[in-house]
Amino acid sequence: MAYALIALGFVLALNAAGAVNFAHGDLVVLGGAVAVVAGVSLGLPGLALLPVVAVTLGAAGFVAARVAILPLAGRPPEATFVATIALAAIVEHGLTVGLGAAPLAAPSLVGSGSLEVGGLALGRQPLAILLVGGALVTAVWFLLERTQTGRRMRAVSSDRYMARAIGIPAARYIALSLALAGALAGIAGLLLGHQFLVAPTQGAGHMLKAYIAVALGGWGSVPGALLAALGIGFFETFVSAGLGDAWASAALYVGVLAFLAVRPQGLFGEPAGRRA
Amino acid sequence: MTATPLDVGDFTVRAGEIVALLGGNRAGKTRWLETILGFRPAQKPVVLFGQDVSHLPVERRVTMGVGYVPAGRRVFAGLTVRETLEASCWLPAPARRRLVDEMLALFPMLGARPQARAWLLSGGQQQMLALARALMNRPRLLLLDEPALGLAPGVVDGLLGHLRELAGNGMAVLLAEQRAGLALRVADRAVVLSRGRILRTAPAAELAGDPTLADLMAEG
Repeated sequence: MAYALIALGFVLALNAAGAVNFAHGDLVVLGGAVAVVAGVSLGLPGLALLPVVAVTLGAAGFVAARVAILPLAGRPPEATFVATIALAAIVEHGLTVGLGAAPLAAPSLVGSGSLEVGGLALGRQPLAILLVGGALVTAVWFLLERTQTGRRMRAVSSDRYMARAIGIPAARYIALSLALAGALAGIAGLLLGHQFLVAPTQGAGHMLKAYIAVALGGWGSVPGALLAALGIGFFETFVSAGLGDAWASAALYVGVLAFLAVRPQGLFGEPAGRRA
Repeated sequence: MTATPLDVGDFTVRAGEIVALLGGNRAGKTRWLETILGFRPAQKPVVLFGQDVSHLPVERRVTMGVGYVPAGRRVFAGLTVRETLEASCWLPAPARRRLVDEMLALFPMLGARPQARAWLLSGGQQQMLALARALMNRPRLLLLDEPALGLAPGVVDGLLGHLRELAGNGMAVLLAEQRAGLALRVADRAVVLSRGRILRTAPAAELAGDPTLADLMAEG
């Protein structure tokens, strides 16, 4: 479910900016780091960290848009690639300097232990992740499909020039999309940070998973990215339970290659016919 | 209120008037429209509704009351007909929904499929969507770039009929068109462009009977 949040933010940023945001994985780590700092040093409980992380990382996404994406709007997407890769490096090294290279544990959301439901022992943390993730995905769906703001965000993603020509201040909507993407990434970082810890070098791994999810789901497709991210999560969990982590990663990439060989357009095709 | 909707120094478009912007493929018609909208810097001041807008960004000019139907339609592929119209409207929600319903009634082609995604529409339906989208702000000035391109003759007639009706209700219309004969059927006046410069401005009736028009247009 946390992968789904990462991939959802990634695809929103991708559609809005018209280019891959290579700093997205590092925003996830930054979210985890904010959770560690706010949780450990300020002693905030897990649930109170959600809004803190969302607001902080929303601001980070906004800054990313202002610094690395909007100034390069008129340039080819490669310019944005380089700028966001630079941003990723800044975040990664900034975290290494600030918090050290050793992995840190983020606080859990609602304490540890497990609940007994119908004879099944369910971990409190995985259950909380599932609920928070599900709520956020639903909220984003509602925003995009049912509100005027969401319709305009989609119009800007579809054709920035034409969006401006019907009066939409495109730059503001792109910054908004990136802020939303940042908030989703940050919350994913908080959710993952308890079990998988937070280390500055994890960004590239998160980024790669999100990229794979979007490639599998169909470039630019929101439901495709969500579905593929959930699929990747299940795949990793079950294969690593049976064969161990190393084999799980290897099997994932083989599986991805095989899938794309059979269906190169991904699950849901390519709605805008645009590649980057 | 009586200010001229569009004044670019070299020509004006008055309320209730259709002006054709004629020229061949690379004559600079789109360039003129984009300059008026603010996508390109202007050499001379652009005056909309009596106000110099040279310093205003595209989105501000548009919300002053300018509708734009771009070349190639440029519908938002993933949005439905209804979503497209809603996104293009800056009125409060109840007025917005009323106006959407009005548009769906005005363009039966769209009214038949309000939930269809724009990329699934036919060329004619997409063109009507582009026109309806431009009308969602209740504009007083409408800019159209080759709206008849690739449409069946019957659909073209319908489109020109809509333009006549809009102008009849007081809208100022600037119609960029390559096929002079077609534009002169509805236009009151015409501006003939060649290589980005204005060759001549004349009443449509005068140009329609002018055998040198073809030569003027052919210069590109």
